[in-house]
Amino acid sequence: MGIKRRKFLQLTGLTAAGTMLSSCGKGTEKLIPFLIPPDDGSIPGVANYFASACRQCPAGCGILVRVAEGRAKKIEGNPLHPVNKGKICARGQAALQDLYHPDRVRQPMKRVGAKGSGEFTPISWDEGLSLLLEQLNDLKKQGHADRLLFMTPRLQGTLSELVWSFMSVYGSPHHLAYEMLNTESYEQANVAVCGRGDVPDYDLEKTQYLLSFGADFLETYLSPVRYGNAFGKMRQSRPTIRGAFTYVGARMSMTAASADRWLPVNVGQEGVLALGMARLILEQGLYSREMVKNVEGNPEVWMKKLSDYDLHSVAERTGLAPEEITSIARDFATIQPSLALVGDSVVFQSNGQDAVQAIQFLNLLVGNVGQPGGLLFCSPPVGQGSTSSFANLLSKVDALERDEFHLALVYRTNPVHGLPSAIRFQEAFKRVPFVVSFSSIMDDTAMHADLILPDHTDLESWGDVVPWVGAHSQVTGILQPVVNPLYDTRSFGDVLLAAARGLDGEGEKVLPYKNYLDMLKQRVQRLIDGSSDTASEKNWVEILQRGGLFEQEEAVLDVPQKKGVSPVPVREPYFEGNKEAYPFHLALFASPVIYDGRNAHLPWLQEMPDPMTTAVWGAWVEINPKTAESLGIKHGDLVMVESTQGSVQVPAVIFPAIRPDTVAIPMGQGHHGMGRYADKVGVNPLGLLAPVMDKEHVLPAWGATRVRLTRISDKGDLTVMGHPEGSYRGELLEI
Amino acid sequence: MRTLLIVIILVLLVGAAAAALIGIYFIPLDTGDPSPVQPIAFSHKVHAGENEIHCLYCHRYAQVSKSAGVPDLETCKNYHIIIARDNPEVKKLMEYWKKKEPVPWVKVHDLPDYVYFQHKMHVHAGVACTFCHGDVATMDRIRRVSSLKMGWCLGCHRTNKVSIDCWTCHI
Repeated sequence: MGIKRRKFLQLTGLTAAGTMLSSCGKGTEKLIPFLIPPDDGSIPGVANYFASACRQCPAGCGILVRVAEGRAKKIEGNPLHPVNKGKICARGQAALQDLYHPDRVRQPMKRVGAKGSGEFTPISWDEGLSLLLEQLNDLKKQGHADRLLFMTPRLQGTLSELVWSFMSVYGSPHHLAYEMLNTESYEQANVAVCGRGDVPDYDLEKTQYLLSFGADFLETYLSPVRYGNAFGKMRQSRPTIRGAFTYVGARMSMTAASADRWLPVNVGQEGVLALGMARLILEQGLYSREMVKNVEGNPEVWMKKLSDYDLHSVAERTGLAPEEITSIARDFATIQPSLALVGDSVVFQSNGQDAVQAIQFLNLLVGNVGQPGGLLFCSPPVGQGSTSSFANLLSKVDALERDEFHLALVYRTNPVHGLPSAIRFQEAFKRVPFVVSFSSIMDDTAMHADLILPDHTDLESWGDVVPWVGAHSQVTGILQPVVNPLYDTRSFGDVLLAAARGLDGEGEKVLPYKNYLDMLKQRVQRLIDGSSDTASEKNWVEILQRGGLFEQEEAVLDVPQKKGVSPVPVREPYFEGNKEAYPFHLALFASPVIYDGRNAHLPWLQEMPDPMTTAVWGAWVEINPKTAESLGIKHGDLVMVESTQGSVQVPAVIFPAIRPDTVAIPMGQGHHGMGRYADKVGVNPLGLLAPVMDKEHVLPAWGATRVRLTRISDKGDLTVMGHPEGSYRGELLEI
Repeated sequence: MRTLLIVIILVLLVGAAAAALIGIYFIPLDTGDPSPVQPIAFSHKVHAGENEIHCLYCHRYAQVSKSAGVPDLETCKNYHIIIARDNPEVKKLMEYWKKKEPVPWVKVHDLPDYVYFQHKMHVHAGVACTFCHGDVATMDRIRRVSSLKMGWCLGCHRTNKVSIDCWTCHI
């Protein structure tokens, strides 16, 4: 041996000291000046704040972005914005990672491998645009313009106008604006009960008794930041009143956990409870006389229609105690103003439409429609594009299967991941010969594309955002680029305008705009004064500084008075899978963290604990402790969830706040693609869903699937912050 | 015997590590070169001394930002396109401009990331630039004259009765 002990010790000591020293010392730092100073007056070390708008979910909040040295650093709520009033949720804050995502599509890409293989090669914008135009013009020349399918989410403002004009110039009627959490059912029910097709605003702030039928308004429902703020005011802002809140639903969501009372009714019987309450209110004469006069209703006729909904049978069908039903019915009618909300877990039942109508009728009965603290129908928001119907989606799938579409354009939606495979969309979509995606990240649908023309992310884009619901006035948030584009991407609006110009035809005439910004400015000017000029520069800068157009005065409330309304009976719910083989209801819920999966690529959100289970990174199945015990399933075990349609393997979370006959899985995980943080993380439970629908109204019933559970192993690979039973143990609700 | 040997070795190892730690206590933490060679031999003596150009003329953000700022290359170029064109160092500058590359100056005064220092507040409080940076007008190559240790900061903060709360600087 060459090394003596003394030498060895010397060396050890030196190495230890050296390691520590080198970790303290610093390398030479560089001081890099500007080559040419920026002309926007920005100062190194001093941050600028830009107002913009959030597009992480359809709520449409206003944001302020802190930008230092040309880099976006932090997102907060815009205090001037009437929807979110300076607050913003985690999803909004995480939009920064959309900008800096390492797996963004950095330049146009052309498919080189097999379809769906995800093998692409970078191309130039010239080549990309000419490929797009070649496809568009070829199809048009052959006289098959109607073989173009354009898929988007519900669009707003300028984009809605642009896509609509583009499709009409091109000559294809096939613009599909559909996403799984569609609001069509609410709209149908509102037409039936209130005579208005739009989604009303719920005036939580002023209500005194709130009854939510599965509406998770603090997490994902319509406009969570606004409702979170309003809920706080409902509870705490009035000196002598603390608004009461009762939640009806099979699973305790974070919203339900904030309620005074949780009523886990039998799945699919929420509408029956509403009608039972309506009958009690009629019996006791607690309804609003004024409302009856307005809608020319007849309480006696209504009573007759509700003859099947006596207290005894309603108690039996819903599984609630009769005293409970009488007490909430009395409270709902006498504590005024009151308000009933209805959410997706009720809507997506096979009798969902009946239930929504029943709940809206309940609101009408006690005079909540059109009164402060109730449902407010304002003048419909200008610029809110419409959503396609489920029937339309089904007809598109049929057309895809008959190879009727030769070209598909996909913008800001991810149908390959986000639609249940039971409607056969995914298989049919693969038959389209040429697919163009505008996605800024390689999502599940972009993987199947032939050409990707990447859009800017929101922080690099111009645009306008019309909030889904919320302000009692007309609001248009303006999206402005807060940083220069990081990569060689182009705004979708500009690409579509360029495509329209390149069409052999009238594209130029119908869309005579220099660029998308020009189109946006003209639209803003039209909103201000109806003229067709471009907004003057001074006005425009003021609008940008504020973050949009926010009308100050409260718009006139529109009290809809549909004559001759009467309650409609609630059909028995249908569930796919027989009770013996598939004993549990499957409740899918939009994740409070990644919503329907559109935010799954953002690691901040992946690592954010789910508020009820504290689970991070991935999907899980929530099982009641009693159920789990009977099946020998422990917290963190790997479990197979099977339906008649398929199966997934997920870790089990033993969750005391769910009905024993129900299991719940969050939506949004299990992507194939969408960047390194989402790819193959968790499972996508949409594959379990059976194609059940409400045939009468042509509405989907995603809540009507039954499943069975089988324990596989103890290696579920579940990451949680703590055992969910830990904090609730000892105060379990008796169900 | 063997176990005794292992124990001795372990004791010595721990001792060596402790000695190294104690050693670190005496070595100055800022081991960076106080006067590093810069990519261009820019002379503060010529600019600030002989030509009496005011500090804030070039370091123009010192009054308004936490960073004092270094002039952008375009500004340097605009002067030297006329002045001292034949100076070899100015030629180097023009090379950078031709390549459209900013000069990678080596930082002489560098604070760790966990220290929040603002030039703006110190300038407004009337602390002269030379108080920390020394008589720059006499230096050809810039040299760090202050230790930039925490004790040095606190000494001045105490004398001037300025806050010595931890979060004044460590926020």
